[in-house]
Amino acid sequence: MTAALELRDVTREYPGEPPIKALDGVDLRINAGEIVAIVGPSGSGKSTLLNIMGTLDRPTSGEVLIDGIDTASLGDRQRSGLRSSKLGFIFQSFHLLEGARVVDNVANGLLYRGVDRSTRIEKARTALALVGLADRANTRPPKLSGGQRQRVAIARALVGDPTLILADEPTGNLDSRTSDDILRLLEDLNSDHGATIAIITHDLDVAGRVPRQVSVRDGRIEVSA
Amino acid sequence: MNLQRSTSGTRGMRSRLRLPDRFRTGLGGLGSRPGRTLLTALGIALGIASMVTVVGISSSSKADLLAELDELGTNLLQVRPGQSLFGDDAKLPTDAATMLRAVPSVTDAVGVTSIRGDVARNRWDDDPYGLSVIATNGRITEVLQLELASGRKIDTQTQGLPVAVLGAVAAERLAIVDTTGGPTVSIDGVSFQVIGILQPHALHPDLDRTVMIGEKHARDDLGIDPNHSAVYLRVEPTLLEATRPLLARTANPASPNEVEVSRPSDALEAQTKVDQNLQNLLLALGGVALLVGGVGIANIMVISVIERRSEIGLRRALGATRGHISSQFVIEAAALSTIGGALGLGIGVGATWIYADSQGWTLAIPLQALLGGIVAALAIGAFAGLYPAAKAARLDPAEAVRPHG
Repeated sequence: MTAALELRDVTREYPGEPPIKALDGVDLRINAGEIVAIVGPSGSGKSTLLNIMGTLDRPTSGEVLIDGIDTASLGDRQRSGLRSSKLGFIFQSFHLLEGARVVDNVANGLLYRGVDRSTRIEKARTALALVGLADRANTRPPKLSGGQRQRVAIARALVGDPTLILADEPTGNLDSRTSDDILRLLEDLNSDHGATIAIITHDLDVAGRVPRQVSVRDGRIEVSA
Repeated sequence: MNLQRSTSGTRGMRSRLRLPDRFRTGLGGLGSRPGRTLLTALGIALGIASMVTVVGISSSSKADLLAELDELGTNLLQVRPGQSLFGDDAKLPTDAATMLRAVPSVTDAVGVTSIRGDVARNRWDDDPYGLSVIATNGRITEVLQLELASGRKIDTQTQGLPVAVLGAVAAERLAIVDTTGGPTVSIDGVSFQVIGILQPHALHPDLDRTVMIGEKHARDDLGIDPNHSAVYLRVEPTLLEATRPLLARTANPASPNEVEVSRPSDALEAQTKVDQNLQNLLLALGGVALLVGGVGIANIMVISVIERRSEIGLRRALGATRGHISSQFVIEAAALSTIGGALGLGIGVGATWIYADSQGWTLAIPLQALLGGIVAALAIGAFAGLYPAAKAARLDPAEAVRPHG
């Protein structure tokens, strides 16, 4: 079966004297349908790992394959296209457009795919129902709680049926009860709908909830259970 | 919802932003900060408004002047004695007007003789009124298309009598309102009855400061030589250019180079050209305002790019290419400027309308000025947006999505 994501001997150096090795020979495979926690303290290189997994950054060496496609040779247009069609992002700080309605925020997940607006809105409503916010479609983000905002962001990430959803500290700005809800939602999306999810976190409790944890330290994968 | 895996391959993986969405994302930023949008657009608005007003006022005034010229006729010519070879003032032959009238393309001609004489209210009044006196005959009414404000004209019945017709300014200075009650004026102590007062004459403002008396009276009773100081003539409009070179020779066959032929309407037209310099200066000022407005937009857009770093990061994560990001900001800047331009058109047309109305002109703003204003605003905005847009597109997406810093 194809891996949703495969990293082969990925190294990322930042220029300096001496160069800083944020990632050092990382091998990682995430299969379709998996839910994985990538865990590590701050400064471990997990943010760099996330950026490379999300094609927001390029490795200094090594291969990054997303849905079997080698991203090394791709230009900006194709990498952007790959992000729009195969990746979904969930951020710690939600990144919602405050002035846009909830449903438009979700529909923006399809904006750069060239889907027409009415189809986008229709799919956004389905995705909102999936995260339990069908009734808030016409609200604007400032009127939502943190947990609701993150649900909107999750809906935006999954509206385009991505190969892989990357969640960067998805519960970092939420209280423990809300965190619990969000994690349960991600687990449900994985188990009931087959979404492939990688959760990047420094929180061991969060990581402990999912069946597979990948531990990052000093730019290397320590445990890949 | 079933999250089906998409099949492998780079086909269909190109990032695409539909045209309406391009505009929607570009315009979305404006609505979220209406106050800032308005203030930023104001610079362009003032620039466009001043340019439209300058063009509008000058073209309205020109349209008015041309309409006036049309009414007065541009086929009026003036023949005057110039200077002789020795620098003395030349004279026109006594029969110049008659000779000119004989030219087939000349429809009418009238001579006027200027007379030295002090005009006053009566023989004891020695205030200076700064008025001149001419002797002429009834034809002048036709040739110069004189309009009476009051009374009657000099004609065959009155030109032998001691009567006078006053120009508009002359009447005003002499404090004569109308001809009822038989007012009189004194010329060098001789009394003349005022039989008519003229309306102001646009083509010949000199005439407004003139007192006209009959040619026959001047010759027969005052002993003044009817030595024409000018002959006015009307020419067939289509033959004007052909006729003009013949006139000097006809008026004074002996020494045609001592004759000056001019067209009074040219002087009026020249006025509009003098205004042109001022107009160019004002247009240049409007251009500077536009430039400043453009710099203002570029400035605000740079700030906006910095403020919206995380939005840019998000859009990149959602699949926006660098091109999509830069087009969003260029469209936003162009729209901002176009809003300013539209605002400026409104202000400019309004200001022109108010001014034209106060001058009694009809509003005449060339369509090109309006279209040009909008196109200029659009172009300036797009140009002003280029640098901020490039800055936005160059943002590292990995940096931009990271919170706070």
